[in-house]
Amino acid sequence: MIEIEVDRREGGIGVVVPKGRLNMVSARQLKELLGELVSSGATRVVVDLAETTFLDSSGLGAIIAGLKSARQAGGDLRIARPTATVLTVFQLTNMDKVLRPRDDVDTAFDD
Amino acid sequence: MGTSTEERRQRAVESLALDETRSHDRLDRITRLARTALGVPISTVTVIDGERAWFPSVSGIELTELPRDQTFCDRTHSDGDTLVVPDATVDDRFKHLPVVVEGGIRFYAGHPLRDHTGNVVGTFCVYDSEARTFDADEQTTFEDLAAWAELELVATTEMTQAGRVQASLLPSRPIRVDGWSVDGLCVPALAVGGDFYDYGVAQDVLHLGLGDVMGKGTGAALVGAGVRAALRGTHAAVTAGVDLGITATQVARSLLPDLERSETFVTLLEAAVELDDGYLRYVDAGAGLALLVRADGTPVALGSDDRPFGVLPDDHWTEHSEQIGPGDRLVLFSDGLLDLLDDPVDWVPPVADLVSAAPDGVSLLRSIRRLALHRTALDDVTVVAVFRDSA
Repeated sequence: MIEIEVDRREGGIGVVVPKGRLNMVSARQLKELLGELVSSGATRVVVDLAETTFLDSSGLGAIIAGLKSARQAGGDLRIARPTATVLTVFQLTNMDKVLRPRDDVDTAFDD
Repeated sequence: MGTSTEERRQRAVESLALDETRSHDRLDRITRLARTALGVPISTVTVIDGERAWFPSVSGIELTELPRDQTFCDRTHSDGDTLVVPDATVDDRFKHLPVVVEGGIRFYAGHPLRDHTGNVVGTFCVYDSEARTFDADEQTTFEDLAAWAELELVATTEMTQAGRVQASLLPSRPIRVDGWSVDGLCVPALAVGGDFYDYGVAQDVLHLGLGDVMGKGTGAALVGAGVRAALRGTHAAVTAGVDLGITATQVARSLLPDLERSETFVTLLEAAVELDDGYLRYVDAGAGLALLVRADGTPVALGSDDRPFGVLPDDHWTEHSEQIGPGDRLVLFSDGLLDLLDDPVDWVPPVADLVSAAPDGVSLLRSIRRLALHRTALDDVTVVAVFRDSA
């Protein structure tokens, strides 16, 4: 199972930390969580992937859905610190151009 | 029972397409468990088919089929309700049945199993040679087991059929045309999967496509079938020389509302090869998994900067080109193959090795299938292999 930590910060920023495997089962959980976060006003979302050990297409789908809803609400979604395996998924799908991986969670929204 | 009800019931039973010649392990688990949990010697899953009753699962007795009117289950079927017979020897409805008179059955409990539209398609039954009843806990256990049997009976057969339909949408045979061979493979992780591939030749142009719909299972398969059909619709234009970036963008735009509603996306590689000179055009929608292996073993990864279908509404796609020389080989595959490699990040060398080592496309697919079964693939594994003969 996956554990997803959520940290709400000032300036409408929400940091989400999925710990474990993001697959078909856990992706649903992440998607709902991102949706709730955005609709409750945290429209600037950072998904910290440092502790995400695996990402499949459903996991990527959840992050894309989060990106869409954040942008619709006038915010954005950014990813930070993916491991090499997880980064490969973003690179293969060319999603690393829209979701450029950031090195640091705290400065993910500085630019 | 009215004839129309009986007709509908019979059609529902036939649509389950149960195979009488093989055992049904998933049901056997339930009938075995029923005997232990309820302390009865016999349990069956019974299907009434025409004038006979047969048993997809039997535990505790050797039995293949019975005339319908000699079973308790016939009554459970027609009543459509749970039937408990504490002592059949004193019950006028059943005391004449051969299973009672000769078989020594006294206790029977049966529960109807229904398909999604409510037709009774089978019964879950337990029997005892002693007269008895269920206490409240046993009654609950019995109903739980029946619900489980219903799920297995109906859902499993639906998945099997969906799998057959999906397999029938794939090209039925390899292509062998002057100097070229094309083979495909799809090993779904579940009964049906989100991967699809397609190939065909029209006027000396070979069309190739391999797509991967987010997720797994029936939902992904439905979307995949739609994408495949939309792509086929562009083959004539592609054969005529229209830019693949244009046709792909057009397909993506037409699919976008469907993809957004079902909250999914599709990665895809589509290619067209001129068979007379090996000129390859392709468009890559976030698939990134295609490898051209030169006759001398040099790998060339085919990729792009374009995203999957269904991600951003304003995206567009670009055609790229390569040359497939004599002796060169091209493979398109889904990311399920990466999971089978020791190092999925640095996939080019191991995939190139697999491709180079194979004498032909059939052998390549055979070794990948073996790998998928050996390593128990968690995701669909789909591959299309194009081998051009040496000059």
